[in-house]
Amino acid sequence: MTDAEEHPYVEWIAHEARRSVTTDQAARARIMELVRAEPLPSPHHGLLRRLLQPRALSMSPIASVALAAGLIGIGVVAGSFVHRRDGLAKAGQPPVVARSVAGLPVSDTVVKFVLVAPQAGEVSIVGDFNDWNAKATPMTRVPQGAVWSVTLPLGVGRHEYAFVVDSQWITDPRAPLAPDDGFGHANSVVLVRRGSGL
Amino acid sequence: MTRFSRFLLGGMCGVALCAPGLVAQDPDPFAKLDPNSRFAVEAIIDSAQVAGLPWRNLRSRALEAIAKKVDSRRIVAAVRTRFTTLKEARAALGSVGDGELGAAAAVIEVGVKPEQLTALRNPPRGRSPLAALTVLGDLITREVPRDEAISAITKLWQEGRTDADFMGLFHGVESDILQGLNPGAALQNRIREFPGRAGIKPAPPAGEPETLSP
Repeated sequence: MTDAEEHPYVEWIAHEARRSVTTDQAARARIMELVRAEPLPSPHHGLLRRLLQPRALSMSPIASVALAAGLIGIGVVAGSFVHRRDGLAKAGQPPVVARSVAGLPVSDTVVKFVLVAPQAGEVSIVGDFNDWNAKATPMTRVPQGAVWSVTLPLGVGRHEYAFVVDSQWITDPRAPLAPDDGFGHANSVVLVRRGSGL
Repeated sequence: MTRFSRFLLGGMCGVALCAPGLVAQDPDPFAKLDPNSRFAVEAIIDSAQVAGLPWRNLRSRALEAIAKKVDSRRIVAAVRTRFTTLKEARAALGSVGDGELGAAAAVIEVGVKPEQLTALRNPPRGRSPLAALTVLGDLITREVPRDEAISAITKLWQEGRTDADFMGLFHGVESDILQGLNPGAALQNRIREFPGRAGIKPAPPAGEPETLSP
């Protein structure tokens, strides 16, 4: 049994659908005239429509995770520009305008630090000017000599520092000592006044 | 997945991979503290900022301790103590700079009473007690009797001695101690070398170049 035998109306609907439609020529001309009168869509209008057109984006779980990681990464990078990593807002910092490669504050005052250490293999300087980072400011040995030195731009004021000689912290024998800080290694003090030089 | 989606996804993956590297260029200075200690240290630093105290001194103290591998609890205690002594120093010295407050706080922490520093309070324009406080700290560290050191430094300050005088005193006492003299005797020995006591050398005018670096 076919559908047509089961449902008499199906045959009638199919017949109506197949019947040719005769169109009045005058009506056809009027319709075409109206269509031609419509302005052509501009390319900009089409782009805007494409952007505003809702779309469905399907994504695999792995792709979703990667997208989320990317967004978190953007947030971390953006956050690092707004806040220092110790939690203080950059806006609250005093106006230090620039930093050198070694991470030292730019200053119009430079100080030369010198240490005589003939047996040393590696010497660096640590202090409040480089966040006590033993890797930040290595000292250089005078060729064929026992003298190590480094020249640093320092801000005016009092700075505590120490030398790190082959991983051992030592004080500067030519500078005043800072009061014992209770941390097990003494520090030296350098006073920098405006106009202090090498 | 459309071409645009693939492009977007690739870009996101790139950012995700690069983000840790970018952040590593500004390493977290307090990363080695445990979370509670870190919170405490940052809270104290924030309090110092609010109170107008030299917060960078506190930050430096924490970083110094981290570099010296001091345990977190002691770091928090040291930063908290410095916060207190900075407040005491400001109360004792009045309107002075951050360096002076830091130097004063350091000597208070080794037993100098804040009221013993009031002789250095509100220095005249162009004069700073920074060298005096620094040499006082050095003398105490070299085991010169504390009260003798305070007395000598405050007298020299009241006489209008210059920064160069204080640094000269430091070099003299250090030299005598290295030659075997008792620290207290070394101080008295060098104090006697100052000709007269009243207004021999006026303070230098503000801004005059003076080299104090080692």
